[in-house]
Amino acid sequence: MRIIFGVFFSALLLWGSDATIEVTKSVDALPSIAVEDASSDYNDGLSQRFYRVLVSDLNVLSIFNVDRDYVNAAFSDENVADSHKEINYVVRYQLVDNNGEMVVDVKLINNNKVMHTLNYRLKNPKQYVFLVHTIAAAINDFMGADPVDWMKEKVIISRTTGPRRSEIMITDYTLSYQFSIKRNGLNVFPKWADNTKKYFYYTDLTTGTPELRKHGVYDNSDELVLRSDGMLICSDVSDDGNRLLLSMAPEGQPDVYEYDVVSKKVKRVTNYSGIDVNAQYMDNGKIAFISNRFGYPNVFSKKIDSQATEQMVYVGKSNSACTAHGNYIIYKARESSNAFSKNTFNLHLISTKTDFIRRLTVTGINEHPLFSRDGGTVLFVKKYKNQSSVGVIRLNQNKNYLFPLKGGAIQSIDW
Amino acid sequence: MRALLYASTVAAMLLFSGCSGTGPAIDDSAAATNQTEEINIVDENSAADSESGIESTNLDSAGLTLESIEAKMLPIYFGFDLYKLTDEDVDTLRQNMELVTSDAQEMNIANKYSLKLEGNCDEWGSDEYNFALGLKRANAVKDELINEGVAAERITLVSYGSSNPVCAEKTQECWSKNRRVDFKLRP
Repeated sequence: MRIIFGVFFSALLLWGSDATIEVTKSVDALPSIAVEDASSDYNDGLSQRFYRVLVSDLNVLSIFNVDRDYVNAAFSDENVADSHKEINYVVRYQLVDNNGEMVVDVKLINNNKVMHTLNYRLKNPKQYVFLVHTIAAAINDFMGADPVDWMKEKVIISRTTGPRRSEIMITDYTLSYQFSIKRNGLNVFPKWADNTKKYFYYTDLTTGTPELRKHGVYDNSDELVLRSDGMLICSDVSDDGNRLLLSMAPEGQPDVYEYDVVSKKVKRVTNYSGIDVNAQYMDNGKIAFISNRFGYPNVFSKKIDSQATEQMVYVGKSNSACTAHGNYIIYKARESSNAFSKNTFNLHLISTKTDFIRRLTVTGINEHPLFSRDGGTVLFVKKYKNQSSVGVIRLNQNKNYLFPLKGGAIQSIDW
Repeated sequence: MRALLYASTVAAMLLFSGCSGTGPAIDDSAAATNQTEEINIVDENSAADSESGIESTNLDSAGLTLESIEAKMLPIYFGFDLYKLTDEDVDTLRQNMELVTSDAQEMNIANKYSLKLEGNCDEWGSDEYNFALGLKRANAVKDELINEGVAAERITLVSYGSSNPVCAEKTQECWSKNRRVDFKLRP
C-alpha cells in the first residue's frame, strides 16, 4: 500500500511542481482512515476533544478520506472495530493520566496489522492540541506525503474585541488551543521575532502613538523597540531574525524601512509620496511590497539597496496585500467592481518565473496570507458573514480548510 | 497643572486659526480657583493612560473642557479607498477651527497642547494598506491645517485602520461613517 502511495504522491509532486498550476483529483481515489479512542482516563471530555482535533488534522493532511464517527476500542485489541473493517487505515490512541502527565500511545493499523506505533509524554495536558498535530504530522511522514511540519507551529493572532480594544493570543492553526498573552489596550500586527518563537514583535497603539514592542512569551518581558508618529508595523522578519521590514511614517508618508536588530539602525528602503507598505523578504536581496504608485494598490518588488522598482502583478484593480516565498507571491485582490459585493477580496498565487495566476479563494474577504516555511501551505484570514476564520490552503493538494474564531475578529496573524 | 495645560491648548487653537471670536464673559477669578485645585489633584499617569489623555473636568464658568470641544468638532469623511479632501471637507475643517477658536476665547487659556488627527477606515480589510490609508487621510487633513496657518509641529497623526469604528452595522451608510479623520486635543 505504501508503494502505491509513493507512486501516487510522486506523480502529484511532479504535476504540482509549479504551484500556480491547479491540481484536480478525485476524492474517491484516496484511501480511507478512521480513529478509535482507547482511553479510560480523561473522561472529562478531553479524550473526545483529542479525537475531534485528530480527525480534523487527518482531513487536513489531504491524503485520506476520513471517517468521522466517534468509536471506542480496547487499545490491545488485535482487530479494528466492526464498523472499521472496510476502512483502509485505523489510528487507535490511548491517553493515560500518569500523575498529571499525559502519556499517549498511538497505533496505525492496516488490515488488522500494526504498521506504526508512536509514544509521547506531555507534562501539560492543556497543550494536547499541539501533540495531536505532532501525531498527524508523524502519520503523514510515515505515509511518505508532503511534509506538514507547519501543523506543529505556534500561531499568533491579534483578536479585535471592540473599538480600540484587542488581545494578542498564541494559538494553533485550528484555533483549538488559545492562550491570551496581551489582553489590555490596542495591540495589533503580532509577528514572531525568529524561528524559536520565544519573542514576538507587535504594534502598541494604546497611547495613541504607535510603538513597536518586543514581548517575551516565557519571561513576559516587554521592550520598546521603536516609536513613531503615524503608523509603525513590523511587516516581515528575516529568516535569521536579525532584520525587520517595517511600514513606518515618521513624516506622515507611509514607506518601507528596514531595522537592523543588532545595530538598532533604521534604513529607509522606499521613498514615494503615496503609500508603500507590507514589504516581504524574497530571494536574492529583493523585497515585494504594496504601493499605490500607479494610482491603485498593487504588488511591486525592488532590491533593498536599489531605487528601481518592478511591477509584479498586471491584473486586478486593487491588490492591497502580499506575501512572498522564493519565486512565489500571493496577493490579495479586490475582484468585484462593486466594493461591497460578496466576493470582495480573494487571494491569488503567481510565480515570478511564469505568467500563470491561480485564484486560491472564492468568497468573502481573504487577507493576511502567509506561506509555510516549506512554501507548500498558506495560512490566511477569512472574513465572511460576520465570521472570522483562519484558513489553510494546501497548494499541491488544491484543498482549503477553515477554522472559525468564536467571538471577535482576527486582525492579524503570523506563524 | 492640568488646568494650566488645558489653558495652553485652547490658546494654541487661537494661534492656529488666527481668528478672534465673541463669547460670554469669563469669570477670571473662578478659573483661577479651579487652576489652583487642579495642581493638587492632577494624576499624570492616569492622564497618560486614558484614551485621549484628557478627562472631563470643568475648567471655567461656562463648563468648557477640551473633551467638550472635541465633541463639537466634526469628523472629516472619505470615500472608499480615497484620501483627498473635497471643498466640503475643507469647509468642515475651517468650521472646526473656528469653533475651537471661539471656545478658546471663552476659556481664555494659553498655548501648550497639540492637535491629534486620528485616521480611520471601514471594516473592508484590516491589513497594512488600510492602516496606511487611514494615515494618508489624517495627513491630508494635516496639510490643509498647515495651509490654514496651523504650525506643523503642533499636529500629530495616528492611524487606527479599521480598529476604531463608530458604527458596527453592515450598511453602506455605516461604513461611510467609519472612513473618517477625528480631531483630538492632546497634551
